[in-house]
Amino acid sequence: MPEQPEPLESYEEGQAIAPTGAGGASDLATAEGETLEKTPGGPLGTGADKKPRSLWSDAWRDLRRNPIFIISSLVILFLVVISIWPQLIASGDPLDCDLSKAQEGSQPGHPFGFNGQGCDVYTRTVYGARTSVTVGVLATLGVAVLGGILGGLAGFFGGAWDGVLSRITDVFFAIPVVLGGLVLLSVVTSSTVWPVIGFMVLLGWPQLSRIARGSVITAKQNDYVQAARALGASNSRMMLRHIAPNAIAPVIVVATIALGTYIALEATLSYLGVGLKPPTVSWGIDISSASQYIRNAPHMLLWPAGALAITVLAFIMLGDAVRDALDPKLR
Amino acid sequence: MLLEVRDLHVEFHTRDGVAKAVNGVDYSVDAGETLAVLGESGSGKSVTAQAVMGILDIPPGRISQGEILFQGQDLLKLKEEERRKIRGAKMAMVFQDALSSLNPVISVGDQLGEMFQVHKGMSRKDSKAKAVELMDRVRIPAAKERVGQYPHQFSGGMRQRIMIAMALALEPELIIADEPTTALDVTVQAQVMDLLAELQRELNMGLILITHDLGVVADVADKIAVMYAGRIVEQAPVHEIYKAPAHPYTRGLLDSIPRLDQKGQELYAIKGLPPNLLAIPPGCAFNPRCPMAQDVCRTDVPPLYDVTESPVPRSSACHFWKECLHG
Amino acid sequence: MGRYVIRRLLQMIPVFFGATLLIFLMVNVMGDPIAGLCGDRQCDPATAAQLEKEFGLDKPVWQQYLTYMGNVFTGDFGTAFNGQPVTELMASAFPVTIRLTIVAIFFEIVIGISLGVVTGLKRGRPVDTTVLLLTLVVLSVPTFVTGLLVQLLLGVKWGWIKPAVSPEATFSELIVPGLVLASVSLAYVTRLTRTSIAENKRADYVRTAVAKGLPRRRVISRHLLRNSLIPVVTFIGADVGALMGGAIVTERIFNIHGVGYQLYQGIVRQNTQTVVGFVTILVLVFLLANLLVDLLYAVLDPRIRYA
Repeated sequence: MPEQPEPLESYEEGQAIAPTGAGGASDLATAEGETLEKTPGGPLGTGADKKPRSLWSDAWRDLRRNPIFIISSLVILFLVVISIWPQLIASGDPLDCDLSKAQEGSQPGHPFGFNGQGCDVYTRTVYGARTSVTVGVLATLGVAVLGGILGGLAGFFGGAWDGVLSRITDVFFAIPVVLGGLVLLSVVTSSTVWPVIGFMVLLGWPQLSRIARGSVITAKQNDYVQAARALGASNSRMMLRHIAPNAIAPVIVVATIALGTYIALEATLSYLGVGLKPPTVSWGIDISSASQYIRNAPHMLLWPAGALAITVLAFIMLGDAVRDALDPKLR
Repeated sequence: MLLEVRDLHVEFHTRDGVAKAVNGVDYSVDAGETLAVLGESGSGKSVTAQAVMGILDIPPGRISQGEILFQGQDLLKLKEEERRKIRGAKMAMVFQDALSSLNPVISVGDQLGEMFQVHKGMSRKDSKAKAVELMDRVRIPAAKERVGQYPHQFSGGMRQRIMIAMALALEPELIIADEPTTALDVTVQAQVMDLLAELQRELNMGLILITHDLGVVADVADKIAVMYAGRIVEQAPVHEIYKAPAHPYTRGLLDSIPRLDQKGQELYAIKGLPPNLLAIPPGCAFNPRCPMAQDVCRTDVPPLYDVTESPVPRSSACHFWKECLHG
Repeated sequence: MGRYVIRRLLQMIPVFFGATLLIFLMVNVMGDPIAGLCGDRQCDPATAAQLEKEFGLDKPVWQQYLTYMGNVFTGDFGTAFNGQPVTELMASAFPVTIRLTIVAIFFEIVIGISLGVVTGLKRGRPVDTTVLLLTLVVLSVPTFVTGLLVQLLLGVKWGWIKPAVSPEATFSELIVPGLVLASVSLAYVTRLTRTSIAENKRADYVRTAVAKGLPRRRVISRHLLRNSLIPVVTFIGADVGALMGGAIVTERIFNIHGVGYQLYQGIVRQNTQTVVGFVTILVLVFLLANLLVDLLYAVLDPRIRYA
């Protein structure tokens, strides 16, 4: 990326954890479009009767009116609920398969038909949500905590520590994510979700650290922060009281969108055969095995693929809506 | 008359409602004359100017009523293509912030020359020579060498000179300058203002000077229109208004200028805030802030009264203009 | 300008070595570097020890890395699992992937930018909302799903294309796979252009251009577009590296024998030389593309050039 005046580098980052191929869109959260026309600024009076609102309450007011936010929140809520209690809507067992029914289509009690091993596609699609949501949430938490802290410290203290971290970040950016996943995960035999999550945190933190670094630098330049410094506030107090609340918005936005990306990445890695492994139920695995039967039984592919797309879409739309609401530039 | 604005109304449709930015403005400028339009931000002074230039954002803006007569022709009745040919050629505008108003990635020479290419059909080479000529004219040193440079390579004062050169390029009849010196250092302000006034005299142009700075106005303006909440509240020749304002708002503005002979006294400030354009107070829009307000001010919108005591045309939109004039 | 280039070049060096070292370490974790060297069978312990000595695998990792890098700079990338030099594999694989990337970039520019300009200018209108929703959908569907669906519909159901690309991988065969590879970036380019246009549309210098009486066409093409496309061009430039690295999924779906295919084979057969070699080149391409973007940026924006 081009070197610009420093703070710019952050929020408008043009590239990310190699979105291509992974099907990701981690970099959606840059200086991007709004869905609703905003009130034009110029000709309005300052409005003597209106109290000044904070960024967050203003954003919340915007979000409540945004249908995209409402729809994506509902979808995510639904996903979370069925990840915790899949039994609510699926009575079967995703590992209960009957080879004699392999590739059969829709029939009573089995609306989505059966897959190549004769497992019920509907049940597996429902249970797949749990894996995806778990991987997405845990990977995002790990990335946000690690990247947020490292980037935040680099932005706050600057100097040599910042220089070293920036170069390390560059190194990680130079490695295509899917390739890294193929190399690192190809030796893993564990069928749990932990290696995949660990890999995502390992390769994902630089993206968040860059964002956090940039927004801390921007927040640091605010007059009131300079004033707090002049008044002798301690470093830790400045960071927690003055900088963190202002720098966290971009991190939240990028993390939300990244969550969707990690779900897509898990599926991609599982498709390539290095992500999750059976008996774990994962949309990626199911799509991968269904792709062998694409000619005869495309239904096996469409259901998990559709569920995956809707899930990723929900998180990306949510992040998009939150970003629009929080971006003061577009007000 | 070069330009006559008659009963102009402009509104903006926003998510929160209709903002009435301009509510019946009348003013006029003749060739060689300077009209200063004074007011706080949000008073409608810039919106009126943009309506005259035809650069309002429509939508959300809308000219709901009125006429803009330029050399006797109603601009609002013209087709967009006809208006475009007038813009830049017959009337031009100087903006406040030259750094953001000039294109950052095109050389100043190209930006100046563009005027000649588009309006006069000149070649790129000829228009470049014209650009150098223009830069000389606004006294930019080493114009020939600097014609290929970009806006960020010039100082603030020099950039504003380039803006002025661009406005003057085709020797228009009318120039609208929207706070042309606000963004500049005080020392540079006078130079730029003098340059503008001098070129105006030379070319006998009409000049509309939009400002909130009464100090700038006294030296260059012939007459003043004071705007508040989208209306003209007082209009008068410049010296009359300084001697005795006929509107409490004008008085407030004059009283809030720091003066050397009153050193040590507390500076006067008009109390309250400018009105919300989504909900302009009934009656006189200034009444909530007016020290002279009576009951009638809260119910009846004051018409523009002729200030009959003045030998020259003068008007005030205050029910109590007499009291104000003598108070 | 000269100093700027030199500074960027110098910054590239530690990143290059850092990234290749990282890959080297990762591949070392990956496992048995001599697997596959004894044909399809496991090597017997004696041969294994001898091979390890021969390849210097008994030395510490950092020494192995230095030896490897030394060889790379003399053009020796080692031997692939089938006994072919890795450079030969590269010579056959890279042209294919480069063609695929060219097709993808072409779509990004032509479709992405045009859609972005149209939507940016007509923000809030139906055409804008529709395209915006479409881009969200494209962004949300992972490339491998898009690829499989396209293959299912165009290749299997409707028979418009051959589901698999021939080993020659001509441009015409790569149109659909290129579109699939481009899809996510294309949606992103659309959105980026749209935002950039919509933001610059309100800029003061655009208002100036209108006030100068320029025709609308000229205001857009000369003043609005030039400024708006700066971030887009830089994104597309940087995307070249990302696309080549990400082509692995697309190549697998359409059975294209490019870089991704060879890398996948290398990983499956645990051939370290192939993997490290290909990734080293990909990292280099990525870094060079970014350098090029920086230079392009300076060309497009005089504020950077003269800084």
